Amino acid sequence: MFYFEKRKKIPKKLQITIPVVSILIGVLFGAVAILIVGINPYTVYKSLFLNAFGNWYAFSETLTAATPLLLISAGLILVFRMGIWNIGAYGQYIMGAIFSSYFAIFMPADIPKPLMLSMMVVGGMVGGMIWAIIPAILKVFWEVNEVISTLLLNYIALFVLKFLMYGSWKNPTSYGFPLSKPFPDSAQMPIIFEHTRISLGFIFAILAIIAIWFIISKTKFGYEAKIIGNNTTTAKYAGINVGKNIIIAMAISGALAGLAGMVQVSGIIHFLQVKINANYGYTSIIVAWISYLNPIVCFFSSIIFGGIASGGYSIQISMRVSYGIVGLIESIALFSLVGAQIFLNYTLRWKK
Amino acid sequence: MNSMHHSAIVILLLSNAVKAGTILLFPTIGEIFTERAGILNLGIEGMMLIGAFSGFMVSYITHNPYLGFMAGVLSGGIASLIHAFISITLRGNQIVSGLALTIFGAGFTTFYGQKWINMNLDVAPQNIQLPLLSKIPFVGTILFNQDIIVYSSYALVAVAWFILYKTTIGMNLRAVGENAKAANAMGINVYKTRYIWTFFGGLMAGAGGAYLTISYAPFWLDGITAGRGWIAIALVIFAMWDPLKAIFGAYLFGSINALQFQLQAQGTTIPSAILNMLPYLVTFIVIVLSSIIVKTKHIQPPKELGVPYSREEK
Repeated sequence: MFYFEKRKKIPKKLQITIPVVSILIGVLFGAVAILIVGINPYTVYKSLFLNAFGNWYAFSETLTAATPLLLISAGLILVFRMGIWNIGAYGQYIMGAIFSSYFAIFMPADIPKPLMLSMMVVGGMVGGMIWAIIPAILKVFWEVNEVISTLLLNYIALFVLKFLMYGSWKNPTSYGFPLSKPFPDSAQMPIIFEHTRISLGFIFAILAIIAIWFIISKTKFGYEAKIIGNNTTTAKYAGINVGKNIIIAMAISGALAGLAGMVQVSGIIHFLQVKINANYGYTSIIVAWISYLNPIVCFFSSIIFGGIASGGYSIQISMRVSYGIVGLIESIALFSLVGAQIFLNYTLRWKK
Repeated sequence: MNSMHHSAIVILLLSNAVKAGTILLFPTIGEIFTERAGILNLGIEGMMLIGAFSGFMVSYITHNPYLGFMAGVLSGGIASLIHAFISITLRGNQIVSGLALTIFGAGFTTFYGQKWINMNLDVAPQNIQLPLLSKIPFVGTILFNQDIIVYSSYALVAVAWFILYKTTIGMNLRAVGENAKAANAMGINVYKTRYIWTFFGGLMAGAGGAYLTISYAPFWLDGITAGRGWIAIALVIFAMWDPLKAIFGAYLFGSINALQFQLQAQGTTIPSAILNMLPYLVTFIVIVLSSIIVKTKHIQPPKELGVPYSREEK
């Protein structure tokens, strides 16, 4: 029989090999899935790859999709390291989009751009933060399981958005479509590379991941977060205010997800609608995990998964291959990663 | 409107509430057993989607809703084995693996369901009036003029309760979830027990999903389960891991679903977004309240819920 024997040291090499192999396994199973519906997986993947990395415009679209992923997973790295399961980035993102859109829709359009955008950034972050602090407080004071509370808040946020879009925030001239009125120029985030959709948000994302790297590796808060993640009881004995730390970390994580929502509506869509790609909230969980909660690795994973998302959208339009393929690849990669975790700490042996 | 008409509406409403509740009852019972054995499976939403899709597809092709139901049940079970393998054999993180299962179910059914979108089923399980029982005023028409699948869910609850509390099987599975090492010392095969009950949880999630598309919403749409899997996970806490209490939770949410549907059909002025939000909002409030009760009454979830077990390590 096979059995697992504990390793004395975690091999560094495996921390890179496992995520890479996991993604490849996801791609491989995805190919089988495509083959079953009678399409040539090679042409699908080739098209996906070219639409993600093939030329500067394709790559710029990948970076555009990587922006929200990076912003959200930066915050998730922090909370996941503490063992707090914030699955609510989806809802926090929506709340960020709603709060920031309020200024764009209801404030005078002639407010100077820097002021308008600042208000929207703050609004978006506050919106996401509120949606994250609710489950954090419920967890700290009443031990309400945050996986379930954050998930339910995702659905609630979606219906708040629908309520507004089919109700008072709907543009009267949108022929009944659930869209807000278009954002004025002052509420549109500047583009940093001409002829692309890469906005100032991309800079925010890079700053965010650097800030998270700094927090977890250079500050007392980051150190305490690590201890809490290892063992809550030890942390309490060490005199760490666990509850306070959890609420702060969730607030940061929610704020970054909210900012991602703001960046999407202000930088890319330019109005508020029901479909604002909130699924980035779920994909970011995968991105954070596949990076082993390491901010530097996370930068590259965001680009890879941004590419899969962006390329996936393109092939859905050009080749009519269902976007479900992206979920299949992502989930199988995640299964492989979690399943392979054991090889970090154990080695497989054969016993007769 | 006369009172006869009113009571007919109420009966129809509650009868639909039982049907909508059945969709939740199966997965909730399944997850109670899975969690009692120490495995947390957050993949219910994904397994329900897979069950809903295969149930729909097989019913459509064979024109037999019962074959479809069986297919849905089985496919949910098969999907759960991925989670079982990762969390039991490979001792992976159960939260992440469960989330992956949900994303997998959504991706899988979106991918293969593309061709089936907006197709409708022309067959459904027929209601059967149970002799005597259906003659009980009011309650009889609601509970005992249902289809075979609903009746089987009543039986399931009774059998589940009996197995869990009155048999060695139930004692063993609870022992595994409370203290796997002690259970192993008693001669219980921890791995096997956890595999069996994770698989059972998958079968039940598949059943809930299949019942949704076969009877309640006989068509196919992406993400047709619409978060019911998460509500089922919340109901496990609400039921405090007790199959009998799961009935109340499931039918409460069934009633909300049915009411929503009825109000929309009558053309209410309440915005549909608010109506559709209701189940999640109520679940949210209920989960907060039950967590407070669990905490103050010192009701313990299975002690080793989510903790991987390894025989080699002392």
